[in-house]
Amino acid sequence: MFSNVIIYSVITAAITVIVCFIVSTLLPGIERKYIHARIQQRIGPLVISPGILAPIKFMFKENVKVESPVPGLYKALPIICFIVVTCLLIALTPQAFAIPALSSLVAIVGLLKVEEICYVLMGALSKSVMSVRMPFPDQIKGAAHNNSNRSFIEDISSRRSLRMITYGSFPLYLALFAPITQSRSIFLADIVAYQQAHGPYLFTVSGAIAAIVFFIGYMIILNEYPFSIIKAKSDVIEGPYMEYASKYRAIVYLTRGFFMLVLGVLFSVLFLGIPPVITSVNILINILVALVLVFMMGIMSAFSPVFTNRQLLPTILGTTLLGILAIALGVL
Amino acid sequence: MDEKVPRSKIIETEIPMGTVHPAALEPYRVRFFVEDEIVQEAEITIGVNHRGIERIMEGLPVEKANALTEKICGICSNSHIWNSCRTAEIGLGIEIPERATYIRVIMGELERLHSHFLYLAHGCEVLSHETFSMRVFYLREIVMELLAMIGGNRVQYGCSVLGGVRPRCDLDEAKLLRLKEDMDKIEEGLTGFANRFIADSIVMSRITGIGVLPQKQAIELAVTGPTLRATGVARDLRTTMFEYDNFDFNVITQPDGDVKSNLLMRALESFESIKIIRQAIANIPEGKVINTDWEMFDTDITESYIEVPRGTLYHSYALESGRVRHCVIRTPSMANIGAMQYACIGDQITDAQLCIVQCDPCFTCTDRAIEIIRR
Amino acid sequence: MGIKGFSRTKAIHVMLVYTGGCNGCDIEIVNSILSPRFDAEQYNVFLTWNPREADVLVVTGPVTHLNRKPLEEIYNAIPNPKLVVAAGSCALMGGVYKNCYGDIQSEEIEGPVENIIPVNAKIPGCAVRPQDVLAGVVSLLPILLDAD
Repeated sequence: MFSNVIIYSVITAAITVIVCFIVSTLLPGIERKYIHARIQQRIGPLVISPGILAPIKFMFKENVKVESPVPGLYKALPIICFIVVTCLLIALTPQAFAIPALSSLVAIVGLLKVEEICYVLMGALSKSVMSVRMPFPDQIKGAAHNNSNRSFIEDISSRRSLRMITYGSFPLYLALFAPITQSRSIFLADIVAYQQAHGPYLFTVSGAIAAIVFFIGYMIILNEYPFSIIKAKSDVIEGPYMEYASKYRAIVYLTRGFFMLVLGVLFSVLFLGIPPVITSVNILINILVALVLVFMMGIMSAFSPVFTNRQLLPTILGTTLLGILAIALGVL
Repeated sequence: MDEKVPRSKIIETEIPMGTVHPAALEPYRVRFFVEDEIVQEAEITIGVNHRGIERIMEGLPVEKANALTEKICGICSNSHIWNSCRTAEIGLGIEIPERATYIRVIMGELERLHSHFLYLAHGCEVLSHETFSMRVFYLREIVMELLAMIGGNRVQYGCSVLGGVRPRCDLDEAKLLRLKEDMDKIEEGLTGFANRFIADSIVMSRITGIGVLPQKQAIELAVTGPTLRATGVARDLRTTMFEYDNFDFNVITQPDGDVKSNLLMRALESFESIKIIRQAIANIPEGKVINTDWEMFDTDITESYIEVPRGTLYHSYALESGRVRHCVIRTPSMANIGAMQYACIGDQITDAQLCIVQCDPCFTCTDRAIEIIRR
Repeated sequence: MGIKGFSRTKAIHVMLVYTGGCNGCDIEIVNSILSPRFDAEQYNVFLTWNPREADVLVVTGPVTHLNRKPLEEIYNAIPNPKLVVAAGSCALMGGVYKNCYGDIQSEEIEGPVENIIPVNAKIPGCAVRPQDVLAGVVSLLPILLDAD
């Protein structure tokens, strides 16, 4: 009897993950075609092209030798990222509420941190052809400095990700912890139960402020313009993802769409109290929330340039203060 | 404004970029010496594009050499052929029909429009603001089609020839009408864009005070063109060129010398270009477009300076039995490289490419045989 | 056409390498991909600047001496199947620069592109027209379909 329940839960969670994954592959295409291209007054690509067909195409490409000091680890990192995102989604399903260690906010924050640390490692391990390795005779007689310490463009990106870990992700974590002020528990089961009893947290004053903070944190952790400093096209080109080819790049592509959806589901669990239940209609609300977030992010990113450290610090500081305000209002 | 001094002794890290990089439209190598993401020094290495145009021109018949100068640059191709023809015309004392001068001015100003639009679009692209970049590229297409209408090609139109312009480039009533209508379209679009751009506080905070080039430094580095005018010096060769005698236009200046001044400078200058083209359309005289009544003789080295979209262009050569000798071409970007290296100092590395782009680089123009003699 | 071929024809990543032409072709190509007028993205052609991501390498310019090695490196960095498009008369035959000294070849120009890397499609024109660039890249679709 007991084992039957476990098997049933595992199967339900697996179906939830698969359905969410399939939906998530559409999100990058929707962002690109229906938001960016429409704002820029052009037709734009096929909806399925950036999210589904591009990864499939990369799957069928030759697996080249990666230029990296530790190729094994470098290649493993996108897989780790993908697993982390999957774990995040599993932690959000009501089936996982039975495992308190997984379905608590501490676990979610930990998983998000792993994701961020992956960016640091990816940046540090990537040695792409586009900067130092480009064969060009520039350390020659008459050059400005012939004995300088040369670094790859990905190294800057790695340092930036480290900086983003230290202060960049504050807003998101503050927003994650804001619902605790109402439910007085870090377990998702309690947060959901509280909201189902007392109405969604989003519709309180502190909840609304926390939602704004969550949205900005969402854009920061997804590295979308204007917060895409770790992969700014004007200097580091693609930053941590420079060296990924074929299958690994496909995983990078898939992870991005999946991560967008999972963060949307996270929002609906924490702020609306609706966990992703595959058997009920509520899963549509989860997907709708994810879509709304993607739409908002697309509009924001189409109208803003990339922020440098000069603009990033005040923006994040302001958002952090807003987050603290939300928590303070919640506590009061 | 304080002078920015490169702290060249302490070098923490070097970040090389190029020769292929998304922020650069041309191949060049740039090395940034950075300290905590702040650029302390920049070194631009050119020569990647060196093709030896002046060497190729040497000994060619002057008509062929003129056509070849167009291949120096794909952005300001008309300016090169115009100035090259002008050099021979000054040397041989050829009189140019009034109508041909007007058509040359129209082409020159259309080219200024397309170059400035390219600058604005590329600047927005380096800012990673795709939407603005797309909007300017859309406006630029109108200019490109006008150029294709007049010259027959979108990039190298080959408008000027010795003694005037090609008969192909003569403007009839229908072409003039279309030119006039499109000028209205461009002005409307550009006004909309400029208002939208200035009102965007995020973009403004991003570009104000970035890549500052003080006026004193700009003069010291012999910077030319809009980059100099953006530091507050009202110097425009068009005021001294006889072609522009009949036209009324203002020399635009901007006070700060940062990216914002440079971008606004280009937008405002485009309005002046539209004004000049409108005057040319209204007053274009009737008559021939080419004067074939001239004789070839040997000349001494003749020089010609004109104002092109990016600054002062210098061509000089001597003629020997109809062939070009001792050819020297000096393009505006040559003078502006110093400004590019200087403007980067003290800015974030994310802005460094923007600081280079703000000086409107055209390294394809620049890469020819050069010799710098320091005295 | 299986899923492999379908995905390859519906998501084409193009990388542009400029090897020292006059700039005209580069801007026309970037223009055709970026400007809403031509909008290459509606044909599912995306511009990328990362050789690891690219499928099609568009080369412009007569490969100058200093550009030879970078071009080779970038070509080697692209995973198979990869295709090369040479755009503009400089890339096709060296343009006006190649045989400038009569019989004596210019030392500066290593091109045309064919001498350095294998070329799959050629787009003539000085400078190339954006329509031609789009047509050239799209004409490679059969080769992409047939590749392993």
